[in-house]
Amino acid sequence: MKLSEAAATARISDLGMDDMPLVEFTPKPATLSPDWFQKYRALCHQFMETLTDCATEIAFMNLSQNEFMGLVTGRALPRNTSIRWRIPITLGGELSVENMFLCRTFPHSHQLDRFIMEQSGNETLWLPNPARAIYIPTHTATGGTGGNATSDRLAQMAAQIAKDNSLG
Amino acid sequence: MDINEFLTTIKDKGALTWGPSNTRAIEHANSTLQTKKCAMLPNFIIELYTKTAGINLGSGYIFGPTELPNGKNFPIPSITKINDEIRNIPALKNKTVFGRNDLFWFAFDAFGICYTLNNTNGMALRKYDDPYRALYDCLMGGKI
Repeated sequence: MKLSEAAATARISDLGMDDMPLVEFTPKPATLSPDWFQKYRALCHQFMETLTDCATEIAFMNLSQNEFMGLVTGRALPRNTSIRWRIPITLGGELSVENMFLCRTFPHSHQLDRFIMEQSGNETLWLPNPARAIYIPTHTATGGTGGNATSDRLAQMAAQIAKDNSLG
Repeated sequence: MDINEFLTTIKDKGALTWGPSNTRAIEHANSTLQTKKCAMLPNFIIELYTKTAGINLGSGYIFGPTELPNGKNFPIPSITKINDEIRNIPALKNKTVFGRNDLFWFAFDAFGICYTLNNTNGMALRKYDDPYRALYDCLMGGKI
């Protein structure tokens, strides 16, 4: 059994993410190495350091300067922020930075857990697969002032951090 | 481990806690869970709520009897709202989800036994003898 694409799209829309791209996936048997959690933690930090490419999305997260710096230097996740697997590792997804994306924990990450759990037992699942490494719903990424920091200022800071890293 | 040891340990790890819940809020949450046919609050959770209405460490959360303010962020839903929303997921039947992190959900059953749940299908992955160990794992799994 599986959800039709239309039904999956309707459900994700009900959960407040009508702009979330979905990908159909057939779960595969997965085995995890004993040190998977250590690898996961290291990958989370690596993933955060790649987010300097997403300055526009970060600008709409309404972060303080400290939260921003903690995020793009890989030191600390801002409050209410989650790193999710695009394909969960228990369903055969890879432990890799490319298999990760970032979003708000509440409401989005929690609702995405629900979306996936509701499909449990199906032969194929529809999984969230945002185009960028950070998911910001369209309705919060358009208009407004961009919170505590403007997109331009955060883009400048991100560029400086990227430059500093490359010099290091 | 007892409640005080748990709270001291988890605060030392950097966890944020909220003020204690009042008896009325705890009783209301418990009766709401009963109405929704979820497992009712075991003693260890009631005791926890009398000390703190919720805990957050990174992406790890212990839900409280009421919605919790979260600074400029979206509020943290109450245990009753969380469980009302997931009643349609068969694997969670007769359990009450009390916490989450980015890898797992955590629940107790009608006997107060705690479980780690797979966050893709709700199936139990681990059963705990010590509920404070479950609370600890839920929060520490969110600390990266």
